[in-house]
Amino acid sequence: MSVKHTLAPFSAWLQAFSKPFTLPDRHGYREGADRYRGWHINDTKTCIGCGSCAEICQNVAIDMVPVDDPVTGDSGLRPRVDYGRCCWCALCVDVCPSGSLGMSNEYIWVEADADAFRYIPGVDPKPWDSAEKGWRQEEGFDLVDHQRVPMPMLDPAERTRTWAEVVVGYSREEARREASRCVECGLCVAACPAHMHIPDYIAAIRDGDDIAALNIIYDNNAMPEMCGKVCTRRCEGVCSIGVQGEPLAIRWLKRYVTEQFDDLSDVVHAEVERVGEGKKIAIVGGGPSGVTVAYYLAIRGFDVTIYEALPQLGGATFFGIPKYRFPMPSLEKQVKLLTDSGVTIVTNHRVEKDEMRQLLRDHDAVFIGTGLMKPYGLRAPGEDLPGVMYALDMLRDHHIGKTIDVGKKVVVVGGGNVAIDASRVSLRLGAEVTIAYRRRKVDMPADEEEIEDAEAEGIKIVTQAIPLRVEQADGGRLDFIWGPAEMIQEEEGRRPRPKLIEGVENHMIVDRVIVAIGQGAEHSWMPEEIAEKIADKRGWITVDENGMTAYDGIFAGGDLVNSTADAISAIADGLRAVVGIQKYVGVLPASEDEGDEPVAIAT
Amino acid sequence: MEFQSVRDILDFAITKEQEAHDMYADLAGKVERPELQKTFREFAQMELGHRARLEKIKAGELPGFTDEAVENLKLSDFLLDVTPRPSMGYQDVILFAMKAEKRAHDLYVGLGKATQDARLRQVFKGLAQEELKHKHFFETEYDEFILEGN
Repeated sequence: MSVKHTLAPFSAWLQAFSKPFTLPDRHGYREGADRYRGWHINDTKTCIGCGSCAEICQNVAIDMVPVDDPVTGDSGLRPRVDYGRCCWCALCVDVCPSGSLGMSNEYIWVEADADAFRYIPGVDPKPWDSAEKGWRQEEGFDLVDHQRVPMPMLDPAERTRTWAEVVVGYSREEARREASRCVECGLCVAACPAHMHIPDYIAAIRDGDDIAALNIIYDNNAMPEMCGKVCTRRCEGVCSIGVQGEPLAIRWLKRYVTEQFDDLSDVVHAEVERVGEGKKIAIVGGGPSGVTVAYYLAIRGFDVTIYEALPQLGGATFFGIPKYRFPMPSLEKQVKLLTDSGVTIVTNHRVEKDEMRQLLRDHDAVFIGTGLMKPYGLRAPGEDLPGVMYALDMLRDHHIGKTIDVGKKVVVVGGGNVAIDASRVSLRLGAEVTIAYRRRKVDMPADEEEIEDAEAEGIKIVTQAIPLRVEQADGGRLDFIWGPAEMIQEEEGRRPRPKLIEGVENHMIVDRVIVAIGQGAEHSWMPEEIAEKIADKRGWITVDENGMTAYDGIFAGGDLVNSTADAISAIADGLRAVVGIQKYVGVLPASEDEGDEPVAIAT
Repeated sequence: MEFQSVRDILDFAITKEQEAHDMYADLAGKVERPELQKTFREFAQMELGHRARLEKIKAGELPGFTDEAVENLKLSDFLLDVTPRPSMGYQDVILFAMKAEKRAHDLYVGLGKATQDARLRQVFKGLAQEELKHKHFFETEYDEFILEGN
C-alpha cells in the first residue's frame, strides 16, 4: 500500500472545507441560457396583430385579444399566451412576420393565482419585459419567405418605343410560388376598401385552382383585371410579410388570375337570388363605381342600364389610364361580362337635365358615378396660348383614337397620377418630357412605383417649381416660366405648402405645356333641384351609410363621393350602393347588413 | 380718404365688410350652379361675421386686433384675376375671393403707409392683418383642393 492510498481518507475530508460545486440553496436564482425559451416578450409597437403566432401554435396556447392604442393599419389585436398550454417550442417567435415576438431567458415565476399565467406580453407588465437574452428569430432561418417573386417587366428603353404593357405578368409557377408566401393573416382584407377576400383567393392560386380564385375575386370586385393592373394596393401596404421583407404581390396575383381566362362568362358563376326582378335601375356614369353597381344588381335580376358619355365604359380607367398599363382588351373582357349578365350599356350618351328627371320617374333608383371630369385651369398668364393643353383632355383624346401632337419637348405641370400618365404618353409620342411640380418629390400624389417607372424611362422631374406664366417663344414654341418654392410647414402632420421665392425666374422652352394640377366635378348636366340638395361647394356629393344622397332615390359613388381618387374606393362605394339600393327598393330588409358579402357567391 | 380717429377707420372698414357681403350676396344670385350659389352665400355670411367683429372692437367689447402671425402663401400674387360670370366654377370662385381679400389687405397696407399718426397706423396694420387671415383661408383652400395634384 502506497503512502497516497494511506492518506486518501484524510484528503477526502479536506474537500468538505472547499467551495461546493452544487448550489447551496435549491430555491436560489440561476440565469437561463442565452437562448433559453422562457416567458414571452412582445414589442407591441412593432407587432401588427397579424395572428401568425396564434395560427402556428399547435397547442392553441395563443389567442388574439383587442388592446388599446393599436398602430394604424394593424388589426388592433395582440397575442395572449396561456402557459397552461404553451410547450415553449418557440414556433410563434420563429414565424412572427414583424419580428416583434420573442422569449426571455427567465423561467422562474411563482404566483398563487393560476389565471395569472395567461397574459398579453408587452401589454401586461412583467419583470422580464426588457430582457435582452432569450430566444429570438435568427437571421437566415426564416419560416416565411421575405423575397417577392420578381415580376418580369419590359426594359425601360424598350418601353418607350412601344405601347405594349410594361408588366409582363406571372407564369402559373411564379404565381403559385408567390401565393405560397401568404401567411393568411387577413390584415389586407381590412385595408382593402372593397374588403376583397384576399387570403382566400391567394390560397386558391397556391392550390392551383384558378377558377375558384377568380370566382372568389368576383365576390366583390367587378373590375378585377383593372385592379390587378393598376390598383393602388393598400392591401400590400399592410401586408404582414412586408414588415421585414417584401409584401406579397397581391395586385400581381389578382392580375395573374384574371389573365388566365379569355371569356369570363365561362368561369364566373354567380349564385345569388334574383330578388330584383321587375325593378329598374339607371346608372349615370360608367366608371368603376357604376360598373360595380350594374354588375351586382344585374346578377340579382335588376333591369340595369348604364349611361356613359364616352364611347367605352371604365371612366378614368378607360380614358385616363394609358394602355401600356391597362390595355383595351382587358377592359373589354370585363365589359363583356357585364353585358352577358344582362346590363344594358348606352355609350356616347351624355345625360342632360330633363333626361335625368325622366330617369328618376322611370326607375326605382338612380346611381350617379360621373367622377371628376373637369380639369382645373393653370390660371396663370398665357394659359390660353395655343400649345397649352390639359392632361385629362389629352389622355381622353388619345384613348379615343385622335391624333395628338405633343411636339418634341413637353413640360407637364403636376405631380399626380394624371401628370405621370400624360408624361409617359407624351414620351411614347416622341417627346422629351419634364415634370414641373410645386412641392417635393415625397409629396407627389402619384403612385411611387409610377414615379420610379417614369424616371427610369427618362422623364425628368423638377420639384418646388411654381408655374408663373407661359409666353410665346420663337418658332411657335412656348416659354414656360416658373419660380422656385420654399416649403412651409403650417400644421404638423399635414403636407407642407409651397411658397414662392420672389425674384427668381426660370425658363423652359417647350412645344407643349400640359396641365395636370387637379380636377373637379362637372354638374352642368344635373338638374338644379338635385344639385342643390346633394352637391357641396366643391361639387362633391355626400352619401349616407347606404350610399344614398340627400335626394330620395339617388345614390352616388366614386371620385365624386370619396376623396381617395382610386378605383378600388370607387368599387367599394358601388358595393355599398348595391346593398343600399336593395334596401331602398324593398328587396332586402332595411336592418339586414350583407357586410362584406353584397355580391356573388362563388361556385 | 381722411381718417381723424380710430372710430373713422373702423367705420370705413365696417362699410367695406358690408360691401363685400353685398357683392357676394349679389354673385350668389348670378352664378348658375346651385352649389356655388350656396358657396357665395357662405362667403357673404363670413363677411357679416367680419363686420360684427369690427363692430365689437369699435364698441370696446373686444380688445382689438391680435398680432397673430399669418403665413402669406402669395398664391394670389401671381395667379390671374378672375371676372365673375354666371358659368364660373369652384376654382374661379375661390380665386376671385382670395383676390378680393388681397385687394382689401393691400388697401389697408397702403392707407397705413400714408398715415402719419402712429396710433392710426397701428389700426390699419391690424386691419391688414385681418384681411391677410381671410386671404390665407382662401389660399389654403386653393392650395389643398384645387392644386391637389400640384
